[in-house]
Amino acid sequence: MTRYVFFSGKGGVGKTTMASATAIHYAMESKKTLIVTTDPASNLADVFEQEIGHKITPIKGMDNLRAMEIEPDAATREYKERIIGPFREIMPEDVIASLEENLSGPCTTEMASFDRFIDFMEGDEYDVIVFDTAPTGHTIRLLELPVDWSKHIEESAKGTGQTCLGPVQTIQDSKEKYDRATAVLKDPERTNFIFVMRPEALSLYETIRASRELKTIGIDSGEIVINGILPENVCEIDFFRKKYESQQKVINEAKNAIKKPARKMLLRDNEIKGIGALKDVADELFGGKRTAGFSKSELQACFDLVIDMPDVQRLWLPKRGTKALFFTGKGGVGKTTISCIASVYASQKGFKTLLVTTDPAAHIGEVLDVKVSSEPVQVMENLHAVIVDQEAAFREYKEKVLNDARGKYSDDMVAAMEEELNSPCTEEMAAFDKFIQFIEGRDYDVVVFDTAPTGHTLRLLDLPFDYAKQVEMMVSGDELKEAAQNRFREIINILRDRERTVFNLVLYPESTPILESYRAMLDLKDAGIETRLVVANMILPDGVAVNDFFRNRRAMQMKHLKEIRDRFHLPVMGFPLLDVEPRGLDVLRQSLLLIG
Amino acid sequence: MKIEIYDPPMCCSSGLCGPALDPVLVKVNDALMALKRQGVQVERYNLAQQTREFMSNVIVAELLQKSGKKILPVTLVNGEVFRTGGYPAYEEMCDALGIKPSALNIGLRMGN
Repeated sequence: MTRYVFFSGKGGVGKTTMASATAIHYAMESKKTLIVTTDPASNLADVFEQEIGHKITPIKGMDNLRAMEIEPDAATREYKERIIGPFREIMPEDVIASLEENLSGPCTTEMASFDRFIDFMEGDEYDVIVFDTAPTGHTIRLLELPVDWSKHIEESAKGTGQTCLGPVQTIQDSKEKYDRATAVLKDPERTNFIFVMRPEALSLYETIRASRELKTIGIDSGEIVINGILPENVCEIDFFRKKYESQQKVINEAKNAIKKPARKMLLRDNEIKGIGALKDVADELFGGKRTAGFSKSELQACFDLVIDMPDVQRLWLPKRGTKALFFTGKGGVGKTTISCIASVYASQKGFKTLLVTTDPAAHIGEVLDVKVSSEPVQVMENLHAVIVDQEAAFREYKEKVLNDARGKYSDDMVAAMEEELNSPCTEEMAAFDKFIQFIEGRDYDVVVFDTAPTGHTLRLLDLPFDYAKQVEMMVSGDELKEAAQNRFREIINILRDRERTVFNLVLYPESTPILESYRAMLDLKDAGIETRLVVANMILPDGVAVNDFFRNRRAMQMKHLKEIRDRFHLPVMGFPLLDVEPRGLDVLRQSLLLIG
Repeated sequence: MKIEIYDPPMCCSSGLCGPALDPVLVKVNDALMALKRQGVQVERYNLAQQTREFMSNVIVAELLQKSGKKILPVTLVNGEVFRTGGYPAYEEMCDALGIKPSALNIGLRMGN
């Protein structure tokens, strides 16, 4: 029977590396192994140094190893064709066109990726299948879907027989498949969940959350990998000694908070790429073999790249009206820190500022040291913060619709409406609705969005475009249609207006975050949105690179900074690695000095 | 007594899951529920979701092939075409079926 290993964790924790090393480990034990990524911004190909793509591809130099990158676009195309294909010959063209249009929403994309992912849980061709899954929040959504979906299908069959997840017949046909998948996911004999985290408070918090979320859907097994631990022997100066100690503290906390077997992996001073390096990681992961402190052979002349500080005043502060600042990037790159700093900056300059998080695993409250809820709370003069809680937004939206309906319609009708509203699509819709209210409103001069991880953000931002299309299909009177259409057109206009919206990419100078940010920039461009600034975070200050280990790491960063400059053709803001994790307003205020 | 409605392709025919509530669809739903309570057999198909049903009904398939999707929605009363290109009101459907509109439903409609 095939065994499944799922890797979960925030982006940038080394999930792909750990998943790849695990796949190599099993392949070397002569087990027929497949590694699959469902991450839309996967870098599996970079790690294995070969092209992979949306097909099962043998890995060069390994006998029993194959890999595949599930591309959401390709999966969606295949899924759509499976549904529409049979009707192509018989239906008139305009019907086919509108069927295609109808299947272009975010639900279809999610459904299609998931469908593809489940296909791998059916066969018995492999001994082990390793899934390098998407970042935490998204992973959980993916994993929860089979449960929600089969519930949704059952309820729909009882109710009006409708579901917004595409053709109900197709879903019905697949229901057994989803149930089988859920059963396999919940069977610890067949499925293992590995949470990869960094020895940092935020990462631990995320991991606890993720493991709890899985527990609520009946999955309580799993292991953790703590990756990127500073080797003690290279932390001789105070700056790193403090970091080392705070890491060790987090490691101890992790052991107490998460009652799962934990493996520890040391930070390396070189990039892990290619079969050789991955075998070395597999040795450490499964055999506990520690690598040497640093790799002398890789030591290169450390050069300094001088970057001009970008004009943040012009970029971040409004000339007139409200300005929306988006900070996007993989989880773990310090997006929250940077958006908090931008918010404090704008408010200190005298602008009434609101900081909004759409991240389902938000930790703004921890950075600002205030309790943040779904209503804006004051943090300091001119600064408010709010969290868009998808579930709360969903409840609110449902209540609003039902309240309108009560008294207008029969009780049966209201009950049917309630059931109908319990769909994942409504949930997404409700969160989006809440989120854009802050852009539409004129209550603040600056609205800063600490957005959810890239893929999710893009889906959120894609929504107005889909919705504008969907609205054209509304049956009700022209007046209503026009009002809805105008609203979505206005949102699109705001997002595309350089004076009103500024998109900032946050990354740290390593290949995974660079690659993902670059793809995010291209995706935004496709949507007619221009990115304006790259924030390169966690740069090792010159003075702290006192030994070969950190000189190597700094040289690596400089190489990547140059790559960022050459690749993005955008202003780059360098932000240094701080000696303490930023917590509280005082630290944030001090940080303002660093951005000029 | 049977009413069949063949809807144009949409996210869901309840009118609830789009970006904005679609009151016409909510009203249609309400009417169909009232008819069900009165013992009428009601079937509803959405082109985007139950495409097969549009092909298996000869009348509907022919209408679609001839006029394209602008012919939708199509309402059949006891198997015969009653309305195309729009939804009939609750009272009209009662009329066509030869039943009395439920006072309860009319009352609610008027308070609307």
